[in-house]
Formats: sequence, C-alpha cells, structure tokens
Amino acid sequence: MSLEGYIIETLRAVIFPGFLFMFFLALFYEWFDRKFYARLQNRVGPLYTGYSGILQPFADFVKLLSKEDIVPQKVDRFLFTMTPLFSLTLTIFACLLLPISSGSGIVSFNGDAIISITILTFICITVFFAGICSYNRFAIIGAERSFLQLIGYEIPLMLSVVGVALTAKVLSLSSIVSSQENLWHIFGPQALGFVVFIVAAQAELERIPFDLPEAEQEIIAGWNVDYTGRRLAMFRLARDIELVFLCGLGATLFLGGPLGPVIEGYSTVFYTVYFVIKSLFILAILTVVRALFGRLRIDQVVGFSWKYILPLALLQFIVVRLLL
Amino acid sequence: MSTFDIPIGPQHPALPEPLLLKLEVEGEAVVGVNFDVSYMHRGIEKLLETRSYFQGLPLIERICGICNAAHGVCYTLNVEKLYDKEIPKRAQYLRLIVEELSRIHSHLLWLGIAAYEIGFNTMFMYTWRDREHVMDMLESITGNRITTEYSQIGGVRRDIPPELASRLLKVMDVIEERTKYYIRVALTDRVIAKRTQGVGYLSTADAKSTCSVGPIVRASSVKFDVRASDPYVAHDEVPFNVITSDSCDVFGRVVVRAKELLECVNMIRYAVQHLPEGPFRIKLPMKPNAGEALTRVEAPRGELLHYTLSDGTPKPYRYKVRTPTLANLGALRVMLTSKGRYVVNIGDIPIIYGALDPCICCTARVNFVDVKKGKSWIWSLDEIREMSRRGGLLK
Repeated sequence: MSLEGYIIETLRAVIFPGFLFMFFLALFYEWFDRKFYARLQNRVGPLYTGYSGILQPFADFVKLLSKEDIVPQKVDRFLFTMTPLFSLTLTIFACLLLPISSGSGIVSFNGDAIISITILTFICITVFFAGICSYNRFAIIGAERSFLQLIGYEIPLMLSVVGVALTAKVLSLSSIVSSQENLWHIFGPQALGFVVFIVAAQAELERIPFDLPEAEQEIIAGWNVDYTGRRLAMFRLARDIELVFLCGLGATLFLGGPLGPVIEGYSTVFYTVYFVIKSLFILAILTVVRALFGRLRIDQVVGFSWKYILPLALLQFIVVRLLL
Repeated sequence: MSTFDIPIGPQHPALPEPLLLKLEVEGEAVVGVNFDVSYMHRGIEKLLETRSYFQGLPLIERICGICNAAHGVCYTLNVEKLYDKEIPKRAQYLRLIVEELSRIHSHLLWLGIAAYEIGFNTMFMYTWRDREHVMDMLESITGNRITTEYSQIGGVRRDIPPELASRLLKVMDVIEERTKYYIRVALTDRVIAKRTQGVGYLSTADAKSTCSVGPIVRASSVKFDVRASDPYVAHDEVPFNVITSDSCDVFGRVVVRAKELLECVNMIRYAVQHLPEGPFRIKLPMKPNAGEALTRVEAPRGELLHYTLSDGTPKPYRYKVRTPTLANLGALRVMLTSKGRYVVNIGDIPIIYGALDPCICCTARVNFVDVKKGKSWIWSLDEIREMSRRGGLLK
C-alpha cells in the first residue's frame, strides 16, 4: 500500500468513522437515551449543557476525568487498572467492524460477524474481572450476576446473528449488508430474530429489566462500585460505545445497515446518516423497553432466558433453516 | 456453603434513612438478619419537656416529615384530653380532611418508592408527579407543603373556604382517576407481580405475634385500623371501609395502600360535603389539668401512639411517642429471614424493606453508653418506671 493509502487508512481508523467519530456518537447516543427516557417519564432530562443538554454526557465525561482517582488498598492493582482499558479497547475495536460510512467496516473479513459476537462475550468477561478484582462484597455479587446473565443471553444473541448469516449465506457483515439491498432482514422470517436480538441486547447492555449486575437499590453500583475518576469514565464510555455497537449491529443485521437511496458522489454522508437513523430507531426501542419495565430478580432473569428467549431463538433458527 | 455478611446501610441508595441491616447471606439467599436503627437520635421527647404545650406543636410535627399531620393530630388530641373540653365538630372534620390528604400524599409517595425499589423508575416518576396535586392542595389549605402544623390545640389553624373546598373536590377527581390507573397497573403488570407476589411473607399469626401495625398487618388479613376501632376525629360519622388483603406479601401491601387511596378520596369528599357549621377553634388556657393522657392515631404507616404526663404546669412532665415503624421492626425481621421453602433473595431486600414504608428517623431510641467503662445498655421498662419515680438517673 502506498503512503497515501496508509495515511487514509489511519485517518479512517482514528477520526472518521473510527475512534473520534465513535466517541462523539457514543456521547450523543447516551444523550438521546437519557433525554428520551426522561421524556417518557414526564421529566425534562438533561437541559442546560448545550442545546437541550446535548453536551451533558461530554460534561460528565470530562468531570469524571478530573475527579480524584481512588485505588482501594485491597484491590488487585493490575486488573483494577487494566480492565477499564481492556473494556474500552474491545468496544472500540468492535465498532471498527461496523459498516458505517460505506458498505463494509474499517476492518472487514469473512467471519467478522462471529468476531463481533465474541467481542461482546469478552466485554462481559472484563466486567466480571472488574467486579472480582476489587474484592468488594457488592462488586463480587455484581460480577456473579453479570456472568449468570452472560450464560443466559449469549446463546440467544448468537443464534439471532447466525440466523441472519444463514439467510445471507455469509459470515461477514459487509456481505450481510449487501444481501439486504432488496429487502431488509426484519421483513421476513428474521422478525422473530429481531425480537430475540433486542431482548438479548438489553441484557448485554445491563439495562432495565436486566440491570442486575449494577442494580442500584440492591447492590449499590454492583461491579463498578469501587471505580472512580477516569477508570469509571472509561467504563462509562465503553458502555456507551457498546450501546452504539449493539444498536449498529442490529441495524446492520436487520435494517439493511447504511444502505438507502443516495445521491452519487455523497454516498459517505448518506450512508452515515442512514446508519445513525437506523441505529437510533433501535436505541429508541431499547429505551422504551427500559422505561416500561421494572427490574427482574436474578433467578427470574435466567429463567426467562432459558424458558422463553432461547426456545424463541431456536424456533427462529429452525424456521430460517427450513425456508432456505 | 459458607455464609458471608453483607451490610446494607446506614448509607445505601435503597435506604432513604439511616438504618443498618446486617445480613448473613448464603449465595443469593439471606439466612440471618440483624439491624440497628440508632443512627439518628434527636431527643425530641426530652426537648418537649422543656417547652410549653403550645410551643411543642412545631417540634412534634418535625418527628416525621411525611406523617406530620398524624403527629400533629395525635399531639393536639392528646393535650386536649388533659383539658376536658369538647372540640368543635367543624375542627374535627377539618382535621380529618388534612389528615386524609396527608395519607394520600404518603401512600402515593410510598407507591413511587416501592416502584423505585424494584427498578420501575417510570412509575416512580408518575406517582410523584400526581402527588404534587395533593401537595399543592395541602399548601393552599395549610400554607405549607409538609410540616403543616394545621391541627392546633383547641381546633385548627385556618378554615377551608367554599371556593377552596370546590377546588379540593376537583383535585380528588384527578387523584381518583390516577389511583384507579395505578391499581390497574399494579394488578396487571407482570414484572410487579413477579417481584412482589410471595415476597416478604408475613403470616397472619406472625403479624399478630410481632404486634405489627398499619398496612403491614392489614395486608396479612388482620382487620386492624385505629380509625375504625377507636374513632378519634369524626371517623364515626364519615363512612369508610377498612381495606385488608389475604395475600400476606408485598403485593398485598401494594394493593392495600392503593385501595386505601380510594377510601381516602371518598372520605375527603364526604367530609367536605358534610362540613358542619360553627367555629373551627376554641381558646384554651396555657395550663392543662394535672393527669395523664394516651392517644392512638392511625398514621399512614400504622398505629401512632402518644402519651403525656402532666403535672399541671404549662410544660409536659413526660412525653412519649411510639411510632409505627418501631412496631413494625419485629415483622421486618420475620420477613427478611429465609425459612424452609420461603427464600429471601438479595434482590428482594429493598422491596421487603421498602414495603414497610419505614421512617427510621422517627424510630431511633436511646442506647445508654458509659464511655469510661465502655459499656452500653438499654433501659428496661421497670428501670424507666423506677427512674421516673425518683426523678433522676439510676446509679
């Protein structure tokens, strides 16, 4: 590759649609989530920082960075320092796989659909380590719960992705996108998979009704109870980017990714806008679910997953297989 | 499996007030519980002895910000018993109206808190929004949102003019409509059902043996309500039903409180429409007769008990308050301990505790500590009697 090519690739990874774009998109999604959630609850939500408080997540992030960094005496220092970094790195890497500004992601190869799901599992494992290494009672309970949830929801999530991959007959996200040029996967046998995906994504992101690992009223902040300052900022940013990733993955798998009518020569802009609109639609669904439910208990969460969500995912898988 | 201890409180997001729950946990199940309520001692009973009966009223309302109307009514009724004077009927009706309004505000607040404890934040926001109607009404009637000091010795502080009464009736319509909606949500929402049914089980026998009061005991199908069994302000004239539930769990407590809201609305309507004419206050002298008085009132949280001992001076010789939460702590212990097939999960603790509608600051009691010897103890009833007879501390 020429020097020019290297520079363009680097700029793509660092600025657009790579890290910097992801950073601001994640903060924007957090704002959207908070604002929409607040309006559903008849509150105003973020209001003062920027237009309608749009800069509030950014202000929170900067504030957390400037806070005192406390490392409790008994924690495992290495893991305590590294897990926020791992978590952030993994989520950013996952986002590089998403097709945002063009038909394929920055990193694209056959099998990246599987890699993206694997990364989600790894993120969950960093959460587990984050809780375990702080040796806090509440954090350990939170870590246990996050693992239980992982067992419950990873398989349905996998199955919903595999169902789409089966229909498209490929395992790369860019080919899955191009297979939806005529008809999005959500219209058709994948609709069931979409439901499974939404529920599993809600559990992955630890949002109500599956926010048990960090259930405020029960175990304070759960696995991240001991984290302060920039470590917490990193975890929060990682959580926001994960939100973007899962919404984006949903859009990629079921809503045709960034595809849509474009004006010749401006496809990057149009693709990006379509991607954002589609993933915001999924985020809106996730937020409505968050507002509509209370929190389940851990045994009920796992039971719900194995009794209803997993059979649903299997049913969808079988339907897709039969229709092929 | 080995157990480990989890301390919940005295600072915890689920606890609005300082209480320490020491839980012995096996996996996710609670097997033992111990608690400490003495993080907030304010010495209000002792302070009351240092001021006159009339000056004590603002202080007594500050025992609890939420059931302040009940405390005010209980205090004034208690002191009025020492005077042997009949209080005007209109004042009694007005007291009832404000007391029931404050019950509505307390129950709506509790519904919100309970929803918050199970992570149902939307319902929390909605109930607290609707509670604002009641708070505005309380402000219009009494001049203050909380710590209203409406009930005064000899009557009430202000009258309710007719235009305010018609506004009150309109607000009652809003509250009734919203309450019916919440009852529908509570009865049909599957997450609420899953998180509350069979949780915090307190059998009828246990409810009686732990002497619990209020909605807790009514949810265990015991028909105990001071308003019905010992009418204190015009309750014998205003019709109402005592709501009970036989489910003996948190769900029953939700239902009891929600249906009590409707009863409150009907009581206020009846009282406003049948408000008797006459004065709303009579003047009473500074000094009551010597003697003692004991009054029970049904506060939103349950039976509230005030006792006073007067020696004929303007100040009480001894004043004693027994708040409903103190009476319910025994039941809390039963509810939080796993027994046989009844398992308490860590996730259930906030809602079980929250279903008590606890008010810990009203509850804290003295624990005597001898700093030199490093010893702490609590007075027994006989020792307190002995102390009051001798008028000083025992050695």
